[in-house]
Amino acid sequence: MSPHSAPSDDEAPGLYLHVPFCASKCGYCGFYSQPTAGRDMHRLVTALLTEVRRHHATPAVRTIYIGGGSPTSLPVDLLARLVETVASAWPDAREFTVECNPGQAGVEMLSVLARCGVNRLSFGVQSFHAGELELLGRRHSVDDALRSVRQAQDLGFANVGIDLIFAVPGSTLDSWQQCLESALSLGIQHISAYSLSFEPGTPLYEARRLGRIDSVEEDTDRAMYELAIDLLAAAGLAQYEISNFAREGFECRHNMGCWENRPYIGIGPSAASYWLGERTANVADIDAYIRRIEAGLTATEQRQQPNHDDCICETAVLNLRTRRGVDPADFQRRTGADFRKVFAASLHRHERDGLVETQAGRIRLARRALAVADSVLCDFSSL
Amino acid sequence: MDTKYIRNFSIVAHIDHGKSTLADRMLELTGTITAREAKEQLLDDMDIERERGITIKASAVTMHYEYEGQTYMLNLIDTPGHVDFHYEVSRALAACEGALLVVDASQGVEAQTVANAYLAVETGVEIMGVINKVDLPAAQPEVVAEEIEHVLGIRRNECFAISAKTGKGVRELLDAICELLPAPADRSSEPARALVFDSHSDPYRGVICYVRVFSGKLRVRQRMRLMHTGRSYLITELGKFRPAMTPVEELGTGEVGYIVANIRDLADVHVGDTVTDDANPAQDPLKSYQPPMQMVFSDFYPGDNTEYSKLRAAFEKLALNDASFSFVPQNSPALGFGFRCGFLGLLHMEIIQERLERENDIDIVQTAPTVSYEVIMSDGQVRRIGSPSELPDRTHIQELREPFVRLEIITSTESIGGIMKLAEARRCKLVKTDYLNPTRVMMEYRAPLAEIVYDFYDQIKGISRGYATMDYELTDFEATNLVRIDILVNGQPVDALSIIVHRDNAEQRGRKLILKLKKAIPRHQFEVPLQVAIGGKIIARETVKAYRKDVTAKLYGGDVTRKMKVLKKQKEGKRRMKSIGSVQIPQKAFMSILDTSD
Ligand SMILES: Nc1nc2c(ncn2[C@@H]2O[C@H](COP(=O)(O)OP(=O)(O)O)[C@@H](O)[C@H]2O)c(=O)[nH]1
Ligand code: SF4
Ligand SMILES: [Mg+2]
Repeated sequence: MSPHSAPSDDEAPGLYLHVPFCASKCGYCGFYSQPTAGRDMHRLVTALLTEVRRHHATPAVRTIYIGGGSPTSLPVDLLARLVETVASAWPDAREFTVECNPGQAGVEMLSVLARCGVNRLSFGVQSFHAGELELLGRRHSVDDALRSVRQAQDLGFANVGIDLIFAVPGSTLDSWQQCLESALSLGIQHISAYSLSFEPGTPLYEARRLGRIDSVEEDTDRAMYELAIDLLAAAGLAQYEISNFAREGFECRHNMGCWENRPYIGIGPSAASYWLGERTANVADIDAYIRRIEAGLTATEQRQQPNHDDCICETAVLNLRTRRGVDPADFQRRTGADFRKVFAASLHRHERDGLVETQAGRIRLARRALAVADSVLCDFSSL
Repeated sequence: MDTKYIRNFSIVAHIDHGKSTLADRMLELTGTITAREAKEQLLDDMDIERERGITIKASAVTMHYEYEGQTYMLNLIDTPGHVDFHYEVSRALAACEGALLVVDASQGVEAQTVANAYLAVETGVEIMGVINKVDLPAAQPEVVAEEIEHVLGIRRNECFAISAKTGKGVRELLDAICELLPAPADRSSEPARALVFDSHSDPYRGVICYVRVFSGKLRVRQRMRLMHTGRSYLITELGKFRPAMTPVEELGTGEVGYIVANIRDLADVHVGDTVTDDANPAQDPLKSYQPPMQMVFSDFYPGDNTEYSKLRAAFEKLALNDASFSFVPQNSPALGFGFRCGFLGLLHMEIIQERLERENDIDIVQTAPTVSYEVIMSDGQVRRIGSPSELPDRTHIQELREPFVRLEIITSTESIGGIMKLAEARRCKLVKTDYLNPTRVMMEYRAPLAEIVYDFYDQIKGISRGYATMDYELTDFEATNLVRIDILVNGQPVDALSIIVHRDNAEQRGRKLILKLKKAIPRHQFEVPLQVAIGGKIIARETVKAYRKDVTAKLYGGDVTRKMKVLKKQKEGKRRMKSIGSVQIPQKAFMSILDTSD
């Protein structure tokens, strides 16, 4: 046996809760979520809380993140119940995020969240152009987004982030710049910016296949990405992961935990866990999930035990997505492996080609490798 | 046995005209095998041969047949049917007195029929014309008999009409073999001489030599000598193929069989060598045939340099049973360490390549096959080169010669125009045209091998809608105006991408080639400039554009397992590529340089 061990049991995990409902399905969405209409949300929340309770023996969690789907599509009282229960189970979690949909999270709901100890909000704004919102199939308006964020700030939330999507069909470098500027004018702490991806099976994917819409030129997509990095950095939101930007100290701890390959516990339909050395996923079906939980069974459907090599590679790939990169000492501690040694050949090639660089002892992707990260990271995906 | 009652013969035919089926029927009619055993075409014994429907290695079988109250010993020596293996046809024929030239009654004379007939004539064996598949509704035995007479000079009324499938006429054919084919000359009183016409290596018994005894006899426990190497061995077993290996005490004059003599290494046995009695050796060896000429060369590199020795071991194993295949270490400035391999032809190369992949788990990057050239150096010295990269500096070359072949094409009259146009574009010179009948024509060309070895056959098949057949045989080397086209990738010359072409076509080929390469080389994170140079002068350039984005935007907890799988697959996709500097060149790029299509 090697000296490595899976993330140690005493390392506090992150906690993720998946609310699998949305008011309606967006045109590009590949997540597991179902329209709220005709759903017994009460029963689902009860099941979620049952699953939460099964983890009460876990003394501490580092972070809590409630996502979806749309947590804010729950009625206020249900959301409050969920948040309260979780918060009181782990009062010491340093970060408690809830994903919010503009237009759904009104003052009342936001106040409840604030009262329960939620200290970070992430709004699915996506765009500041009405036309793009429509094309993406979002239900909210630009004004909804502006209002929701303002209200949150007025209620005292000091860690607010938004998601943006670029390279939406029809967008230009200029329209994207306006979008970024609108975002910055909100005085928020965090932005996630994703290039639109066409997931098979989604209406947008079909529309492109049928030639009704065209994806943005690759060169433009690239320029948009580079623009985001520069513009946001100039405004004080430094890139800290491929798609994530934050003011100093406002990086999302929960997600950083994932990229550092720390453990996390996922709760709810389709939620994934990396816990006690195992990667598992809950059944991705609301009814099946509820049935199993109510029957006292585990909701786990997939189970995989990464071996030592998997652990090394996963840690490398995840770490390299961050701008901090790989800290060889950390890496050694976490995996028992010498990063420079196990990946010597790949490192040699990519360093020679200027795609990987070392800064202050940490190894990371060079700026010009960020937009083509997969072509570099794939060389760290197996030994 | 009295040589009077021995008949040694081969069956030669264009592919699919029924050689194997006829052999099976003969084995059956002579009681050598049962009908059920005949179901499987017994003489084709390797997987790949069966899949491709061709016979690569000659093998031999002994049958007994009653004719006019006498028992005859019929030795049938099988031959391969493909142009790459002409040499093996010749060596099989060298062990015979007669040959059955089989022609499909519904297809008529084809290019390989003609080529095989030439080989038989050159060897001096007696040829019997056999028209097969007369059971087919489309059979035209009279028309085909006329073609045979016209092209091959075998009298039409002397041809045998048979159906190998139903057996019709096969008994009569066996009778005729006894009646008409010459018996081996009776040299039983002379010192022993046997021709080695094939060999293979058996993991338990060492080398098995296939022999035809021409004079004297061989006995078990005799010391034999291989006249070429001068080495002697104790014969531990003699036998015949019936068709299973069946031991006998001796092999007399005229007989065909095998020798086991504790010979370890296949390389110790030269096919064509003469076996004699070590105690009472013959004066002179039998007339040997020319060693096979390797006409096609290609370099093989391990995709991963650390697999070099694995590749060597794989080649060693392949060479063990194929003396016509050769490999020598090769060091390319661009590709690193690998092997230059020599083949009889393109099909031979493909067969080796397929075995290599099937039997080993090695990633291989292979360069485009090239013919061999003759270089006359300034000092008069003659050199053979099997790769454009070996071409010496122009200032040291007096003359550069390329191989020429006699090319026969048989086709329908309506495709003549198209084929002639293609042939002309490929520098082929028409020697003669011969109408086999009002709708079929045979064209003979003098052709540069390099122009026809690769895709020419496919092209004429296309032009003639599958009708045309072709065959060729090397005649000589001739000086032509050849130049080397060099390719620079990212500013670096890549020797393995160089080709030698005629000056008249060079620029056009160069331009085409770089477009093909542009398509075959995947996009990188940076622009990859491609340049074509002739004689050090850049004549064309292209750029493989950089890809601008390749990144998964979202990767959170739930996606790790799936994402790792996707990345692994992406990494897999990089295999079978060779790094040249920081550029990854895939296998297909090396082959694309031969693609002359638009
Ligand atoms: N109808 C008919 N088919 C035949 C005859 N002889 C061979 N064939 C078929 O022709 C094809 C090629 O025969 P094969 O003996 O493999 O040809 P080879 O390539 O010369 O060895 C096979 O499908 C045979 O079954 C025949 O006399 N009549
Ligand atoms: S709100 Fe989010 S999870 Fe729900 S459908 Fe839209 S993109 Fe998907
Ligand atoms: Mg056959």
